[in-house]
Amino acid sequence: MNVAITAQPKRKPSFSEWLKTLTFYELLVGMKATLKHLLNYKPITLQYPHEKRLLPENYRGMLALLRYDDGTEKCVGCDLCEAACPSRVIRVVSGEVPGEPTKRYSKEYYMDMTRCLFCGLCVDACPVDALGMTREFEWAVYDKRQLHLNKQQLLAIGDRAYPVREKRLELQHPNVAFFNVTFKHLPQKEN
Amino acid sequence: MEIGLRLAVSLAQIAAVMGVVMLTVMVLTLAERKVLGWMQDRMGPMEVGPYGVLQPIADGLKLFFKEDIIPAGANKFLFTLAPILALVPAMIGFAVIPFGPTMTIELFGMQVKPFVISDINIGILYILAFASIGAYGIILGGWSSNSKYSLLGGLRSAAQVISYELNVGLAIVGVILLSGSLSLVKITEAQAGGFWNWFIIAMPFPQIFAFVVYVISSVAETNRVPFDLPEAESELVAGFFTEYSGMRFAFFFIAEYANMILVSCVAAALFLGGWNAPYPGTILGHLGLDALAWIENVVWFAAKVYFFLFLFFWLRATLPRLRYDQLMRFGWKVMLPIALGNIVLTAIAAYFFPR
Repeated sequence: MNVAITAQPKRKPSFSEWLKTLTFYELLVGMKATLKHLLNYKPITLQYPHEKRLLPENYRGMLALLRYDDGTEKCVGCDLCEAACPSRVIRVVSGEVPGEPTKRYSKEYYMDMTRCLFCGLCVDACPVDALGMTREFEWAVYDKRQLHLNKQQLLAIGDRAYPVREKRLELQHPNVAFFNVTFKHLPQKEN
Repeated sequence: MEIGLRLAVSLAQIAAVMGVVMLTVMVLTLAERKVLGWMQDRMGPMEVGPYGVLQPIADGLKLFFKEDIIPAGANKFLFTLAPILALVPAMIGFAVIPFGPTMTIELFGMQVKPFVISDINIGILYILAFASIGAYGIILGGWSSNSKYSLLGGLRSAAQVISYELNVGLAIVGVILLSGSLSLVKITEAQAGGFWNWFIIAMPFPQIFAFVVYVISSVAETNRVPFDLPEAESELVAGFFTEYSGMRFAFFFIAEYANMILVSCVAAALFLGGWNAPYPGTILGHLGLDALAWIENVVWFAAKVYFFLFLFFWLRATLPRLRYDQLMRFGWKVMLPIALGNIVLTAIAAYFFPR
């Protein structure tokens, strides 16, 4: 027993306090609370693999590369996502489109999802909206290397998560191609 | 021939009681998780079988097929012996518990008591003696594991079990004074004829204080919450069975639950009238079905035992763990004086108003 440094005079317990101690009053109050929960049993558990939570609209899940509605890749290989990424998840190898020296594309595109923190900065950085965040989150794997995704895998994720695709940039308003700004209020170019 | 037959009948009785106890342990492992979950707004196990009812079987299979590890530097002999020392005393106590009315039936020309394996005249002493041996299993298991967590758990358990066994023993003395017998069968019979004859409220001196002391001390003795210091998981991993795995772990686990059932049976038999119904006689007996009256008695006994088991879960869902010095102070400075005072008052009352 450690000795109390400031010796407080021991207060004499009142009769009701004494009675409460004797009858375990406080224990009984606690036991009443647990019994009440037992009797009106309303579990807050969600049986996860069988029933799933409704995800919010802006849920930031697995990253994906997107395509235009004719199937060509959106990515222009500008490396801005790589620069924006705080965890160095993304690695882009950019290259010229054969025969079209003014156009570039990503020859290789890698994501190391073991490091990703799903901040969405790469999606914000992309000038052509080539990156998207899906609502997939069940990406537990047995082998960590399965989370090093290449371009084909990322495009496949985009294909299954975004079945409705945008038109090609040159078919949209001319300004969109350069500034990633939508001009939905302006008249669209005819196809 | 006669001896062989008696042995066979006794073994059959033992097998039946063991089967019922093991089945109850299985039910308890599930019931504890379910009740705890319900009290905490959870569901408990839900995956194995409908509403998780097959979970004990899955757990048993898992423990059976798990690797049996003996840690390096452990004392192999004691490490093997400790789970057995924990389990056997917990099981052996059921030999003297009367599960139903005292009656004898003729079987192969022998007198057989169907509801008690062995009605020895020092029944309650026998249970206390074996309960103390159970502490050896815990202490030796903690010491032989060659692990500091196990050792600390074992040491705590040693101090705790010794302190609280004293209170259990002293709380029982009042009942023994009133009934004038150490045999659980005789103690139960002395409480026949309605709930006002149960020793918890029986004249000349109600044993309500002894009952409270007994219940609290038996919770402490079985190392349950809020007295689960020997296996305090937030401090000692799992206490004395930290290093145990597979079937050895299962032995400790079964021993804990069997001990719970045993102390519940003793509490029911000593304080709540055992297999006696809370009204005189039995309903089936009054209806003229004397041959079936034992069913009602056994059901009453089971109901009382299950009430205590539910109390164990209820306390576990409600109370936080005591600190070590609080535990010791409570045991020696509060429980012990109450138990001793109860003995003095009961002795005086029993002297002036003999039953």
